[in-house]
Amino acid sequence: MIQNRISQSFNAHLATLQAHFKIIFTYRGMMLIQAVRLILLPLVLAAAWLSIEKTAENPYSDADYLLYYLLVPVILNLTDSRLVFRFPMAVRDGSLSRELLKPFPPLSGYALESIANNLIQLVYLLPFTLLAGYAISDRLQLGHLNLQLLLCMLVAIVLGGLVRMLISGSISLVGFWLEDVTTLNLILNGGIWALLGGMIVPVATFPQHIRSIAEMLPYRYMLSFPIEIVTGRLSQAQILQGFAVTIFWSLFFALIMRLIWKRGLKIYAAYGG
Amino acid sequence: MTQTINEVAIVTRQLSRSFSIRQKSEGLAASLRNFFSPVYKTVNAVCDLEMSIGRGEIIGFLGPNGAGKTTTLKMLSGLLVPSSGNIEVLGFTPFNRDHDFLKSISLVMGQKQNLWWDLPPVETFEIHRRIYGLSDEQYRTRIDELVEMLEISDCLETQTRKLSLGQRMRCELAVSLLHQPSILFLDEPTIGLDILMQKKIRSFLLDYHRRFKPTILLTSHYMDDVAALAQRVIVINHGCKIFDGRLRDLTDHMRPEKIMTVIINNGEFPCQIRDGCRLIHQEGQLYRFLVRREVVGELAACLYNTGQIADLTIEDAPLEEIIGQLFTDNGAGAAVSASGQGSTISTPAQTS
Repeated sequence: MIQNRISQSFNAHLATLQAHFKIIFTYRGMMLIQAVRLILLPLVLAAAWLSIEKTAENPYSDADYLLYYLLVPVILNLTDSRLVFRFPMAVRDGSLSRELLKPFPPLSGYALESIANNLIQLVYLLPFTLLAGYAISDRLQLGHLNLQLLLCMLVAIVLGGLVRMLISGSISLVGFWLEDVTTLNLILNGGIWALLGGMIVPVATFPQHIRSIAEMLPYRYMLSFPIEIVTGRLSQAQILQGFAVTIFWSLFFALIMRLIWKRGLKIYAAYGG
Repeated sequence: MTQTINEVAIVTRQLSRSFSIRQKSEGLAASLRNFFSPVYKTVNAVCDLEMSIGRGEIIGFLGPNGAGKTTTLKMLSGLLVPSSGNIEVLGFTPFNRDHDFLKSISLVMGQKQNLWWDLPPVETFEIHRRIYGLSDEQYRTRIDELVEMLEISDCLETQTRKLSLGQRMRCELAVSLLHQPSILFLDEPTIGLDILMQKKIRSFLLDYHRRFKPTILLTSHYMDDVAALAQRVIVINHGCKIFDGRLRDLTDHMRPEKIMTVIINNGEFPCQIRDGCRLIHQEGQLYRFLVRREVVGELAACLYNTGQIADLTIEDAPLEEIIGQLFTDNGAGAAVSASGQGSTISTPAQTS
């Protein structure tokens, strides 16, 4: 019976994911605009970093910065989460009610919508990344790349996406109490993430005392960590340690979500009809 | 009539739900005051509701706007946690949201939707099939039945947002019944539909109930829905139950008189107007009376025997009037005596 339940749950999740794909295909233009958004900022940052003179303490060369910001749009996309926007809106307009009536976890539905968006975005982002990479291939240093590193990067992306989804989920569940969690998200998942996640400055180039803090927090693992793996500057032990930290934060926020969800449902007023 | 445990689908005991709603007066100064010192008002949407509904019953759940009907449906379906009291639906506690409980119920709300807006209904049906774990055979059989009963074969592959309200409502019913729920909560299912569509929906629900015997709890402001479908009505006002019983008992109690309209050929009214008969309107040869039920037959027989009547109609007071009077009387706290046949009418004092 448990096996049946698991099989049915997997089937239901797959059906929901497929449904979101079908909807997204209807809005191709919007996908393109979002892909441009993901590319623009890293381009600007890369140009900025390439234009300034590096100090001796900076472990990153121009080639490292190029590789870093070449991969940022793809990693950024794959670990992105829309849960923090969708769920509070569903609480406010009452559309959460119809999801609560189904034998299917509502948060899974919103998470799958986010994942579907991320995967479809690759249609635009991957060709751009490959073309751009080809255009600057003479300036990149990729001799160290091997299958093991690429697999570790994939695992890091999956774990990074998971922890980001869980943090976004935790923030979004505050929507049971606050009408708008946008500002809270900007604080906890926006500004701090941009700095300690490695968007503005690669984490590997932080001063040691700041890097130590960044390595303990979950933000680095949502963006910088997968790219650091590919740069070949992390040892196997450091990679495994990174996985462990990501898994720890994932479990932590999963527990937070569980606690908030139960309490939130008790006060949910199902307004909107 | 006593019901055994297996026959009871829904039971509530002293069910209550209140909401704390933030108040805000008009103006900037009020907004500023409200920011630093918010004021809340407690609204008792449902108070000490006691009801028992048997499997397979169709219950009309009536009440004016704000009476607590939708709040009750939301508690019964697990959307809302009660403030106090107990609920059992098919042996489950709804707000625990057990997987098997959710597979056994369906809630259709007139203006809200289960269909995916950007996809055609057939895609939503497929998603529901997989969420509810229906086999291919179950799905095919049920879809064919529902499509035929609801006449929706021509709109299955059109995006939901492009369907008319009537088409959407029928597809909503189809998706809500795909998993053959044991309990169906219908919250204003015919709201906004034209008369023909309302009739179609009622006819469909009766047919569906005849075939599959779900327990149905229906709220509607259209008394034609209630009269056509409900075997029994529960009336609530200000969150409290004020009537529970057959519609016939309610009408007999609230309006023990029939409305008799007579058009005579010529001359004066040919029969003696006796006790239990009251003239309420006259216009030329048209006479309209309120006649007590026990006198109706005698008066009608007299009129027929005179051979002087051009037309005679005997009807109950419109249900809307009766229900409206019930709300008004109850709101004024007027004393209403209990009727027989297992029906109960309550005053607010008795239910608090």
